[in-house]
Amino acid sequence: MPSAVWPQAISCTERPLIKFTDVALTLGGKTIVEDIGFDVRPGEFLCIIGASGCGKTTALRLAAGLYQPSRGTVTFDGEPMLAPRRDIAIVFQDYGKALLPWRTAAGNISLALETMGVAPSQRTARIDELLNKVGLPGHSGKYPAEMSGGMQQRLQIARCLAQEPKALLMDEPFGALDAMTRQGLQDEVLSLVAASRATVIFVTHDLEEAIYLGDRVIGLLPHPGRIGIELKIDLPRPRDQLRTRENPEFLALRRELFDFIKASEA
Amino acid sequence: MNRSVLYWRAASFIVAAGFVAFWQIIASLRLVSPVFLPGPDRAWASLLRGFASGDLWEKLQGTLAHMAYGWFVASIAGIALGAMIGSSRMMRSYVAPSLEFLRPLPVSAIIPVAIAMFGLTQGMALFVIAFGAIWPMLLATIHGFAAVEPRLYEVARSLHMSRTAVIFKIALPSASPDILSGMRLSLTVALILSVVCEILAGLDGLGHWVLLSARAFRSADLFAGVILLGVIGYLTALVMSVAEKRLLRWRSSGH
Amino acid sequence: MIPERTKALLLPVAAVAGLELWARAIDLQSDSLAPPSAIAAALAGAFKDGSILIATRDTLISAFAGLLIGSAIGLALGIALGIFHIFDRLMEVTIEAIRPIPSIALLPIALIALGFGYRMEILIVAFACIWPILILSRAAVGGIEPRLIEVSRALRLSPVDRVRKIIIPAALPRIFLAFRLAAGIALIVAVTVEIAINPIGLGAAIMTAQQALRPDLMLAYLLWIGIVGYLLNAGLVVAQRHLFGRAALVGDAA
Repeated sequence: MPSAVWPQAISCTERPLIKFTDVALTLGGKTIVEDIGFDVRPGEFLCIIGASGCGKTTALRLAAGLYQPSRGTVTFDGEPMLAPRRDIAIVFQDYGKALLPWRTAAGNISLALETMGVAPSQRTARIDELLNKVGLPGHSGKYPAEMSGGMQQRLQIARCLAQEPKALLMDEPFGALDAMTRQGLQDEVLSLVAASRATVIFVTHDLEEAIYLGDRVIGLLPHPGRIGIELKIDLPRPRDQLRTRENPEFLALRRELFDFIKASEA
Repeated sequence: MNRSVLYWRAASFIVAAGFVAFWQIIASLRLVSPVFLPGPDRAWASLLRGFASGDLWEKLQGTLAHMAYGWFVASIAGIALGAMIGSSRMMRSYVAPSLEFLRPLPVSAIIPVAIAMFGLTQGMALFVIAFGAIWPMLLATIHGFAAVEPRLYEVARSLHMSRTAVIFKIALPSASPDILSGMRLSLTVALILSVVCEILAGLDGLGHWVLLSARAFRSADLFAGVILLGVIGYLTALVMSVAEKRLLRWRSSGH
Repeated sequence: MIPERTKALLLPVAAVAGLELWARAIDLQSDSLAPPSAIAAALAGAFKDGSILIATRDTLISAFAGLLIGSAIGLALGIALGIFHIFDRLMEVTIEAIRPIPSIALLPIALIALGFGYRMEILIVAFACIWPILILSRAAVGGIEPRLIEVSRALRLSPVDRVRKIIIPAALPRIFLAFRLAAGIALIVAVTVEIAINPIGLGAAIMTAQQALRPDLMLAYLLWIGIVGYLLNAGLVVAQRHLFGRAALVGDAA
């Protein structure tokens, strides 16, 4: 008996998790972004780059539901994004302002667990697990003010992971940190994301960071922000700080993006 | 506490004792008439007498009760109202300017109005004290709630926190330094207004005690009362300091 | 978009209008409240017969005199404590012991020593003004950029010159802020002393109006006291901006 051939859903393009369709945003009479249309597949790591003022943070905030588009739609898992969702976690650049200074590291992570209704008895275990994951074991009793910039950002990431997010939106998360800390955190994010299989939109002004981290890079042109370039990153995973960055393909992509930025600033 | 801090403290006490000795000398030599300036020995004796007979203790309790009542009412009303006004930009733009206008107004000017409404009674005093003590609490709370880091509100939106959770887990803790400093000011205002009302309305309390002592030219009793009022001021400031240090532990850590 | 100015005025205007309508509607007869129109009339009347001006003059004389004396003492002590740390540490207990005494508690002492009138009020106001000036000018001197002190040493300035040319100008903006604060306190304490016991000035006038069962006049004085307080503060803010420009408004809470 021949096996029935069911019409398969076209699996080479799974249904996108996040979809921007003809999105434009006008605030106070100024058009910040327009004609923004792109998909993000589940598990994909998308980087958005562009010169200052090109609207990349705006695009991220639209994806987060913090802004509503003036035109077009932003959908998550098929549903329009009318408000922020608990299963989308946002990692802000100004980690100092996004953490509660009056709560310890454990308390900050607990905030997410409390809103998710996790029972008090189970919280400590989860908190310790998350602190271990982001490389902050034993720091649960420390206040954010007692931690370095890199540690605070890791704490914010831990709190975001506590939300068990389907998507992780990161707004230049390492912009305020020194180069060495940045590289360490880049690799940590890659391993965390690989383990949790979250979908990521990562905004950065650092071209190399975007290529190093991403599966795809979208470059925005400024004034108003619109998509100017889209590159697929076919570099092998897992990425390595030395080998990947010396890969000729990496250098070629870097050149392409560099030329794009220079042209967009002209 | 390290050694040198202790030594300086001790030296400071010695200097203060020196001033007291100086005071004693002036009084004993009668450089100022003992009707106006009793020596510390007489003031101390009067303190002991007053407490032994229970009189001073009663007066002390009277003043403390007035303060406590007014401060308590003011705290609840001030924080509740302040939270409401401070967390809403709309309310702030309508209400805050009027409040700013009222800020420099001497609060004691409400006393005649209160007397007109309630007469020279306990009720008048409680109204005045509560009214006076609300202002620092209200203004400080509004400021604290208005100054909550907006990023934290975005974090709250992202986490889908309920409105109650946002108020109690984010806004209130964020505003607590301001609220505590408002409480400190409120206590000071409550003390002053208690004394004034006791003087005016003859209510049981240290204010009344010092007024009667003054009228009868019993300077030792008068000074004993003034010293006690200073002690109340000192202790309330101390209690607030300790409370601030414990509740605001997170502020001093780090850096 | 309603402009911010209009929003600010909306509440008071609505309150006044509402009170006026309510008072008319119930034909208000009270010892403690009066319709805004009556208050305005009483205020105008007090201006016409000059009584309010005399009272204002008396209050302001006491307040300013006390402010100046208290500021002078507080400033001298504050600067000395700020410069000489040894002095500061030795005086700590004494200052912390006297500071918490509420100025109003000195009222009976001043009363038996000086009797009713200007002097006792000035004394109490001065006592109240010493502390904010002392604390804040001490902090202002202590907070002077250490680099400036080094410069004064490198230039080999004499101690007097150092105080005159470096310390006072550097600390001046914050000292002026303290002065503004103390001015508010001076007015409040002066009015309070008058309400409690002293038969001069605006405080006494408002008490007299209450005792005469003239709520319109009483509330008129209340309004006027508020206006005086507001104008005093506003005037000092203008002066501050004028004298020190934007640099001085750094760290200004009000």
